[in-house]
Amino acid sequence: MKIISKEDFKNFIDALIKDDSLNVIGVKSRGSKFAFAPLESAEELRLDYDVTLLPPKKYFFPQRETLFTYDLSDGFSAKNPEETKPMVLVGVHPYDIVALLHMDEIFRETKSDSQYFRKRDAAIIIGINIQKMSKWNFSSFMGSAAIDYGYDLMLTDLGNRYTINVGSQKGEDLLSKYANNVTLALARDMQIAGQKKREVMNMSQQKFDFPPELIPELLKDSYGKSGFWEKHSEKCLACGSCVLVCPTCYCFDVKENTDLSLEHGERIRTWDGCLLEDFAKISSGENFRATRPTRYRHRYFKKGKYLFDRFGFISCVGCGRCSSNCLPDIANPVNLFNDMYRENQNTGVQMATSTVQPEVNIQTEGNIDFVPRLATIIKKVPMTSMETLFEIKLDDGPELNHKPGQFVEVSAFGIGEAPISLSSSPTKKETFEVCVRKLGNVTTRLHRLNVGDKVGIRGPFGNGFDIDSLKGKDLLFIAGGLGIAPLRSLINYVFDNRKDFGRVFLLYGCKEPKELLFGEELVSMASRENVEFKPTVNWCPENEVWNGNIGVITTLIPQVSFDTENTIAILCGPPVMYKFVIADLKKRNVPDDHILMSLERRMKCGVGKCGHCQINQIYVCKDGPVFNYSKIKGVPEAL
Amino acid sequence: MKPKVAFFDFAGCEGDQLQVANLEEDILALLGQVEVVSFREVMKEHNDNYDIAFVEGSCTRLQDEDRLRTIRKNAKIVVALGSCATIGGINSLRNYKDLDSVKKTVYGENARLFDSYAARPIDAVIPVDAYVHGCPIDKDDFLHVVKSLLLGKKPDSPTYPVCVECKKNENVCAFERGQFCVGTVTRAGCNSCCVNEGTICWGCRGIVDNPNENSHKEVLIKYGLTVDDAISKFRLYFGWQEAKR
Amino acid sequence: MKESNIDVEVHHITRVEGHGNINVNIKNGLIEKCEWSIPEAPRFFEAMVVGRSWNELHHITSRICGICSIGHTLASLKATESALGITISEQDLKLRKLALHAENLQSHILHLGFLVLPDLMGVGSVIPLASTNLPEVKIVLQLHRTANEMSNLLCGRTTHPQRLIPGGFSKIPSMKELIVLRKKLQDSIPSIQAVAELYKSLAGRLPDFKRETEFISLTDPSEYALYDGKLASSDTGAAPVKEYLAYTNEYIIPQSTAKWAKHTRESYMVGALARLNNNYKRLSPMAQKTAEEFNLLPMCYNPFMNSIAQLVEVVHSVEDSIRLINELEAAGLQPQPDYNKPEVKVKAGTGVGAVEVPRGVLFHDYTYNEKGICTKANCIIPTNQNHGNIQLDMKSILPQIIDKPQKEIELTLEMLVRAYDPCISCSTHVVKVSLT
Repeated sequence: MKIISKEDFKNFIDALIKDDSLNVIGVKSRGSKFAFAPLESAEELRLDYDVTLLPPKKYFFPQRETLFTYDLSDGFSAKNPEETKPMVLVGVHPYDIVALLHMDEIFRETKSDSQYFRKRDAAIIIGINIQKMSKWNFSSFMGSAAIDYGYDLMLTDLGNRYTINVGSQKGEDLLSKYANNVTLALARDMQIAGQKKREVMNMSQQKFDFPPELIPELLKDSYGKSGFWEKHSEKCLACGSCVLVCPTCYCFDVKENTDLSLEHGERIRTWDGCLLEDFAKISSGENFRATRPTRYRHRYFKKGKYLFDRFGFISCVGCGRCSSNCLPDIANPVNLFNDMYRENQNTGVQMATSTVQPEVNIQTEGNIDFVPRLATIIKKVPMTSMETLFEIKLDDGPELNHKPGQFVEVSAFGIGEAPISLSSSPTKKETFEVCVRKLGNVTTRLHRLNVGDKVGIRGPFGNGFDIDSLKGKDLLFIAGGLGIAPLRSLINYVFDNRKDFGRVFLLYGCKEPKELLFGEELVSMASRENVEFKPTVNWCPENEVWNGNIGVITTLIPQVSFDTENTIAILCGPPVMYKFVIADLKKRNVPDDHILMSLERRMKCGVGKCGHCQINQIYVCKDGPVFNYSKIKGVPEAL
Repeated sequence: MKPKVAFFDFAGCEGDQLQVANLEEDILALLGQVEVVSFREVMKEHNDNYDIAFVEGSCTRLQDEDRLRTIRKNAKIVVALGSCATIGGINSLRNYKDLDSVKKTVYGENARLFDSYAARPIDAVIPVDAYVHGCPIDKDDFLHVVKSLLLGKKPDSPTYPVCVECKKNENVCAFERGQFCVGTVTRAGCNSCCVNEGTICWGCRGIVDNPNENSHKEVLIKYGLTVDDAISKFRLYFGWQEAKR
Repeated sequence: MKESNIDVEVHHITRVEGHGNINVNIKNGLIEKCEWSIPEAPRFFEAMVVGRSWNELHHITSRICGICSIGHTLASLKATESALGITISEQDLKLRKLALHAENLQSHILHLGFLVLPDLMGVGSVIPLASTNLPEVKIVLQLHRTANEMSNLLCGRTTHPQRLIPGGFSKIPSMKELIVLRKKLQDSIPSIQAVAELYKSLAGRLPDFKRETEFISLTDPSEYALYDGKLASSDTGAAPVKEYLAYTNEYIIPQSTAKWAKHTRESYMVGALARLNNNYKRLSPMAQKTAEEFNLLPMCYNPFMNSIAQLVEVVHSVEDSIRLINELEAAGLQPQPDYNKPEVKVKAGTGVGAVEVPRGVLFHDYTYNEKGICTKANCIIPTNQNHGNIQLDMKSILPQIIDKPQKEIELTLEMLVRAYDPCISCSTHVVKVSLT
């Protein structure tokens, strides 16, 4: 431990500020509150603060960030954003450091976010132990009121001097280069510093009525708690304040912006929040979390259960920003969990006395690539008034190498990106197909493009079908409307490898005959042996001809006889379809784990980061879109 | 073929059209993408052959309705420009006063010459395709709508309240400063510009689609506003929208 | 060629703010009708502010006009501050003067560059000039941008400025920012000179017309009065602002939803020409020099020269703004808290605020009760005060141009109206309300 006088510390900071190669940021006053902002002199520092308006994560994961800029005037070229100067953050409290460590794991998981890490790795963190605590702060309960790592230097205020804990070589070098009169701390100093740290543990004005480590257990039984979430969220203004000021929130939206020439543009990401009304809404208008109670509940579950199950930590550091910013005063986790605990006690439910530590297995497979690959439209086949099939070839050569059931993010430059399922089998070489329904801005634009025009492709994303588990089985495809498009990738694969699979049934339902997709193709497949193809329509208008079944898709199920033991049912269709089809399959005793489905949600990043596609603890883009019913039937938001 | 655009104004302060003039050098870039065939404030020429009509100002009398319907007939796309046109704006404050006595007091026996009725947004008279909210509009928001139309995109407006932008801009909440703000139920898209300048949100962009009004009114009262004052605050810009509820 | 039957029906004259009509009927060489009328929809602002609180009025009345927003806000604040006994600091006074200069610059440049110039260049609008005279158009745009940046810095934005609040400013610029502004203003002087040169080459196209009238404006012995001053008439001399009603004498005209005004004569003029005529000696040195180059000296009775007077004021505003920033720098800028809101002791009272906006002198007159709620309001807009003068000018100039072709008569009459730089929608808000 080292010691520095406050005077020498000021000079140290001023020396850092003088160095033009560094961006020195510290806690300053703003109105009656505090905020991290660039320092012009050490005089401005307010290290005696209680909490900043926004956490320091805004420097590593900014409110608005350019992912890349592009130029369409001559083909397509993308440029990554400029490098920024390394930052020195002065005055970070321990709970904010803990939050940054959480964010590090989250941004590293599976696909690493290089934009975040470029800034994070270059930054120097000078922390300071808490002197004043806001009345909402409960960090001592979350184990984040003090910390022994995660910083380069950590200060403790001793009145006229600071003790310094050096946390890294970077910190050590910083002191030797810019600071004077840094001496070894004496035993007395260390004693007082230790005393101060202990005092912090008793500063909190919030109090949990139970050990907060039990939060994941408590949540486990509270998902459907009658009236509980409604009662707590009744006053919610859907203003997003609680999540926008949170140091561990990381949901984002991706947008596109062009200049007036429409030839230069940028793709940007901005903070988003699951409490906002349209967070889980898709182009068709369906909103998968349309009510306040469902959104309100999701936030607590994500922080207290889903992230805990995935990473092994409760993703809340107790900073209290959410509570202090909530105008109707409903965002305080302490109040909510205490109330949940009390209700549990009243119902006499036996709660576990300790939480089982989850098995955490985080892998990283390289960086997220936000920049799409350029591709050309080779063929364009309008199929119905709303759907068009595009055949696309990547410009830079290599095959897409996708698995049936995966999807790609298709960019219409100037407009944005949309997730579209792959409709062709990987056995079809050199090109791939997507079936696009004209619904929103991107898809409308795609429909206006022609052969030879360029699009951007990112991916393939998603898990796809586990082909090996299907080999040798009979396959019962049940498709509703546009649901045939993603299933076609598997159907065509099966027919290119026919001998690997058993009987094939194909049930396909649409509202009316003119909406049928791939009609001729499916009929010709039906003429092959061992393929039973049954189409149906809900009704047939007078001016159309239809000789097949009339009725909803479930009316076809009794018309096929299949061996329940050896058959795998594969479903894809509008959200409303699943419940009914599954019910009918269960009536035929099809085992749960013989039912597969492909689900749709609002997807932006494609790699399980931005949060939009999340169904409870599952990311549809990463853990799906193909799900086994046995794994998903316990997930309340899925079906 | 560059789309033809035209500007029209009804009862308003012309501040929104001024924002278009405030595009400065971007005007030249804009003229590279569209052909302006009518803009009374700036040019003599007028042509009834236009694709996109930008309309500023509220409809405040019967004779305005005919003009609006003509514009709707001529244009493929009608864009409401500014609060007076999108939600009724400040003009709708007077809807709560007794118009007849006001008119008679002013104009005496000439009152019949000056007809006037409750000020209303233009979508109370004709269908509108896009909205540029705000009093005045933000010129970047205007450009966003123009670019969206040029790209064949449906222009969108946030459905979340100004709080989102205020928090991102790291403002100290008005309520914490002893002031009263309606940003919690006001549509975002202005980047919380007024709070950034040190004041409060007055609600000029109109109420969000699904406000939790009761909760907001409770908040106002919890922080010390009387019920009457809270209602009065909502009348400033939300007059027409509130009356419709 | 003499046309004996001429009808000029300009419905909604272009290149002015608001809606105005010119109706001229000449039969057999005789003038049957010559009318300037206002069909603009009335907006009833004085009715709207009754019942609202002292801290809201400036926000509402700002919406009377999008172009003179800063002026309306300042006049409104002055009225409220006068009624409630609120004073502002020396520093805030200087900053408000800078704000008014910014508005003058923005409005005059818009008028000179976009609204008047096309007539002198023989085109319908500035749009074709973007192809034929791109360098000049770019200069105008760049000057307009500087003026807007100045407004943004001082007020938050040009239209409906947020920073102007009762008692001062919610936020002020830093000295660093003011120094950057000063440099921008200094750098803009060559551009203004270029615009002056352009106008000098075109000045011959302004009609040489003269009609004696009265000029009313603010006046102050120590400076060219824009923000503060006494009320002055070229006929009668100075008087305190609270006696304004004796000067304005509004009355209704059937052809107009806007009221008209008169004082010693049938009509009077306000605006840049009026200010220049009344306060010439207080113009900044460079501004006086510019006026001399155009032979613009008091008393000038040619309303078409109002545009040149505006050009002179552009020079003055730039020079005076630089002086104000120098003074602020010398005194050192006092910081104020973030989200500043001056303490106000609410009481009953009446106050009048008068301010020169680009188009002339503007009056706001408020009465508050002891709770700070407005019980009565009156606003007199510059353009109201000019309507009568426009009508009489029209009647006077028409016989002089009656032998010209119809198109030229129409253009001259339109140029006459445009010279006044009218702000018509502001002028039709007027309503006297006596609600019981």
